Amino acid sequence: MATAFDTTDVVLSILKIAIILGIWLNVTPIMVWVERRGSALIQDRPGPNRVGPFGLLQSFADALKFILKEDIVPAQAHKWLYNLAPTIGLLPALTTIAVVPWGRGFEIPEMTLFGRKLFEGGRWFEPVVADVSAGILVIFALASLSVYGITMAGWSSSNKYSLFGAIRASAQMISYELALTLAAVSVLLAAGSLRLTDVVNQQANHYFVLFDVIKLPAWNIVSPAMWLSFLVFSVSAFAETNRLPFDFAEAEAELVAGYHTEYSSMKFALFFMAEYMAMATMSALITTLYLGGWDIPWYNEPATFLGFLLSFLAFLAKMSLLLFVFVWVRWTIPRLKYDILMRIGWKVFLPLAFLNIVIVAAFIAARWI
Amino acid sequence: MEFAIFFLFAAIAVIFALVVVLHRNPVVGALSLVASFFALAVMYVLLEAPFLAALQVIVYAGAIMVLFLFVIMLLNLQHMAEPPTRPIQQFLGYTASAAFGIGLIYFLIKYAIFTKLPDTPFHADARTIGIRLFEAYVFPFEMVSILLLAAIVGALFLSGKSAKEARS
Repeated sequence: MATAFDTTDVVLSILKIAIILGIWLNVTPIMVWVERRGSALIQDRPGPNRVGPFGLLQSFADALKFILKEDIVPAQAHKWLYNLAPTIGLLPALTTIAVVPWGRGFEIPEMTLFGRKLFEGGRWFEPVVADVSAGILVIFALASLSVYGITMAGWSSSNKYSLFGAIRASAQMISYELALTLAAVSVLLAAGSLRLTDVVNQQANHYFVLFDVIKLPAWNIVSPAMWLSFLVFSVSAFAETNRLPFDFAEAEAELVAGYHTEYSSMKFALFFMAEYMAMATMSALITTLYLGGWDIPWYNEPATFLGFLLSFLAFLAKMSLLLFVFVWVRWTIPRLKYDILMRIGWKVFLPLAFLNIVIVAAFIAARWI
Repeated sequence: MEFAIFFLFAAIAVIFALVVVLHRNPVVGALSLVASFFALAVMYVLLEAPFLAALQVIVYAGAIMVLFLFVIMLLNLQHMAEPPTRPIQQFLGYTASAAFGIGLIYFLIKYAIFTKLPDTPFHADARTIGIRLFEAYVFPFEMVSILLLAAIVGALFLSGKSAKEARS
């Protein structure tokens, strides 16, 4: 922090932020389309197919509709908190991605434009916005704040159903955050670091060799020590993002629309965006922790721009696959009962996560990892 | 830069702390406390201890305050005005807080403002804290865990039905 002000560094940081924010803001329209077409595919009906080819422009029409709708504030609402809640809900969804690495770092070659040197050669570009040593804890810290957006929205609406949704959301998120964090501990133990770049580097371009013939990429999901942890983490991810089968905060059949019942117009759209961005962040996190991050199996990415580009695409591909799984699960599995959700969280997933920590510790002690 | 950020977030922390005390609505109070904790976490980042900052947010802002908010909402206090206080309560309250404030200012002046801090680098990453916790402070660490266990058992005892009640 005490270092001199470096203009190129600032420009690079802004560039990274612009890239990742651009992707994250576009996740929502794309995912809404995927969700609607995906659900139609699963339920054997056409789905949106009027606006643009394959209904691709449907999301733009939806966005326009949201902007043009009247913004209604209930007379009984607590105005301040009611207006603040969507922003607070969006904030953690947008910021958590900052510590996740999304590509192979590379050395920027010397570039000249109009006879002027743009970059001093030999500068390293690490495709992560903030490579802090607390790493994954920053994600958990910010993600734990996402419950406030929901709670504020539910409480300030002065609506019983909203309040029920908010209370359910807080109870659910407290319960599943523990399982989520403890499941991640297994991975961090194996990597020996909280920094997510270290977690990826430990998996990327390393191999498990079986019987001297089969070469498997050293992704955490391949290692039997991580299977339990992967299961607990991904199921808890569904609960953390309030997705079906765990969407009790907005269970339509019981609570109208839960915490955002009273919201309309863009404020409602912001909650919508926050949900999809949280999904994207969880997918990115599962990719980083278990699926080797940006690693392409059986291919050694060179530390050049091409290597970066390929690894970035690999990262996006893995993330998209997981995002599709989110949609797939939503339209396949019905909602659980609320008491079952809480019971599974505390009595099944929490002990399983602890068990996996012991297993990983044993693997490390036996020098298998 | 660091200086400006420090004063900005110090101001935020103090203002929200004041809102906690002065605002009549308990939900607004609880949320302001979260904001104040968050501003405190920024202080840890400025001290180059991101690990502590993350823990501050996870434990206080993320976990404890959610429980507070949860309880406030379940009690449904939103439209209830505080009952009027008796003069003796007011007198005792003001005296105690004045005494505490004077003591705090005295110690700040004596130890914090006019004492130069040692210029040694500040290590507060996960590794250092973990090693300290399990070597130098292992006894207090285990004692705290026993204390927490006792609290859990006590809470379960108070909230749960007794075995006889459950059977009937």
